[in-house]
Amino acid sequence: MEHILLVPLASHSQIENTPSREDGMPHGLEEDLRAYGCKMIHEAGILLKQKQVAVATAQIIFQRFWFVTSMKHFGIGDIGMGALYLASKLEECVLRMRDLINIYDVLLQRETHKVKSHTHPQTKKFHYTPMSYFGNTFYDLKDAIVVSEMQILKRLGFNMHITLPYNTLVNYLRVLGLTDRDDVCSRAWGYLNDALQTPVYAIYSVPTIVTAAIVLTTRHLGISLPSTPPDCWWELFDADWEDVWIVCGHVMRLYRQRSVEDCIRVAALINKKSVREWLEKNPTTGDQAMAVIRS
Amino acid sequence: MNYIQGRSRTTNEIVALKEIHLDAEEGTPSTAIREISLMKELKHVNIVRLHDVIHTETKLVLIFEYCDQDLKKYMDQHGDRGALDPMTVRSFMYQLLKGTSFCHENRVLHRDLKPQNLLINRKGELKLGDFGLARAFGVPVNTFSNEVVTLWYRAPDVLLGSRTYNTSIDVWSCGCIFAEMISGVPLFRGRDNQDQLLHIMRIVGTPEDRVLRKIATESPEITLKQYPRYPKTPFQQVLPKASAQAIDLLERLLQFDPSKRMTATEALSHPYFTGTTNPSYGLTPPPGSMPPPPYNFPHPHAHQQPSQPQPQQQQQQQAQQVPQSQAYTHAQSGIYAQQDAARLAQAQAMAQAQAAQAQAHAHAHAQAQAQAQAQAAGYGGVQYAPPQYAHGR
Repeated sequence: MEHILLVPLASHSQIENTPSREDGMPHGLEEDLRAYGCKMIHEAGILLKQKQVAVATAQIIFQRFWFVTSMKHFGIGDIGMGALYLASKLEECVLRMRDLINIYDVLLQRETHKVKSHTHPQTKKFHYTPMSYFGNTFYDLKDAIVVSEMQILKRLGFNMHITLPYNTLVNYLRVLGLTDRDDVCSRAWGYLNDALQTPVYAIYSVPTIVTAAIVLTTRHLGISLPSTPPDCWWELFDADWEDVWIVCGHVMRLYRQRSVEDCIRVAALINKKSVREWLEKNPTTGDQAMAVIRS
Repeated sequence: MNYIQGRSRTTNEIVALKEIHLDAEEGTPSTAIREISLMKELKHVNIVRLHDVIHTETKLVLIFEYCDQDLKKYMDQHGDRGALDPMTVRSFMYQLLKGTSFCHENRVLHRDLKPQNLLINRKGELKLGDFGLARAFGVPVNTFSNEVVTLWYRAPDVLLGSRTYNTSIDVWSCGCIFAEMISGVPLFRGRDNQDQLLHIMRIVGTPEDRVLRKIATESPEITLKQYPRYPKTPFQQVLPKASAQAIDLLERLLQFDPSKRMTATEALSHPYFTGTTNPSYGLTPPPGSMPPPPYNFPHPHAHQQPSQPQPQQQQQQQAQQVPQSQAYTHAQSGIYAQQDAARLAQAQAMAQAQAAQAQAHAHAHAQAQAQAQAQAAGYGGVQYAPPQYAHGR
């Protein structure tokens, strides 16, 4: 049966040269900012007690957006808010704009504090100051949400069709006879959620990503599955080993040890203004950008 | 929602414009998001075509294919106290099911089928419109909003509180619309949720406790109450004008238990549509009235071809009327009209031959399709159908 609602994936040229990279942002920094924006969406989702389907949908939309738009033009904080607001509408669990604004205000203040306490070690412990009733914060954030939502819809051509991986995982684990093992289920589920911080959902099909989550799980837990050609278990799920391995790589990269400087650098680049300033201070030529990719 | 009529400068086609104001409080309305993201992809003769979306700071303008009126108005104007003649009912019902089945095949629930949302154009084509409540569905894991479908067309499982309903809720609405076209009045007219349920039970009968419990196990969100025990009223009594085959189809569409309801695709091959003889179908509509719409549509993927197959009778009528009324001619054939009668006659003859061919083809295809579908698993099954992926935008 032919289905019209296909899941859009980024094209080869979009993956190779994202709009942000075109504007001189190093590959590694873009990767960090994507992951950071997704973490903020995730945190906001937890604080708002939002359904995981909406949070995951928001993260996928967020990842797709950066294949059509540069971080020089929109900040990861704003787009994250817009994506979460939009995804909540799509998944029929609408958020109150007021609640979303309050939560993001907390998260943004915390980031500012993190950066400040790094440069000024004598800064006091983080304390949230509620926004002033007559201040502009509320209206500024509200505008940012409305604009981000609109821009996401517009730039992604209103194509909001998203397939989440969870049902597929359940089915695959059932096929492999692994559903009895709680450790396998929760670990694989966790990899799928962590993968939401990477661009893989905008690049690979759900079966490939789910297969990768199972590969990582079974390897970590030392479970052996038929893996010698011609009997490779992933072929049951139409997954290509090379693709699966790349997805595994994306996920594992999230867990590598990061320097404090790297973490602070990301926290300081949540809005587009700071990204622009950073790009002006750190002009990269094409060669340097390529070198960063290779490293 | 307000529609404005407009004319496309590039194709000179009349279009319908729908303006949606962007709300500073809520952002883009979710109805608009749904409507655009789904209708953009659904291209079918029996679904209103969304041509384009214009986007400004303060509003969105949706450009739709133009249709003259909705089914409600059509029934008021052309029906006998709202009731349509059997031939029109059959044609509209076929088209309604065809459009619905196309949505379901593409994993879209319409969730708001009612006469006001079905549009009729001059060619007598019926098109599903207003996808403001529609949504895409996958394997049923998500729970959906319970606030869907205008009350009178809302399925009993939704009235009971189900949030894991599926395509069968659209089928229920189709059944209600079917009865309404036959009789001219809505079948179940409740005041509120509870009253609506009682109206339904008074006609289809209160289901046995066993059935109610089964429905409740399948949709755990449902809370059951005590209901008065109504016996089933035969549909023949409610709709004395309906033929036996129409009653049989209605019976299968309006099943209280959602799992017992026929699918839209199955309904298309019901004897009501496939049966050839019916004494009341021999009538020619009076001149000047809207022609009886064709019900044998070509296969959805072949609808790009410009000539719509229409019953021969109608084609002839059309040929006679062309000089006086441009309304019946297609945009393409419009340029021939009046200038060159010989060419026109030739074109008409060709169109007729094509139509007959296409009709035969469509019929064969529809049957083959129905068979294929009968073999395939039904919706809502547990099997996982791997989604397809496309690269690029």
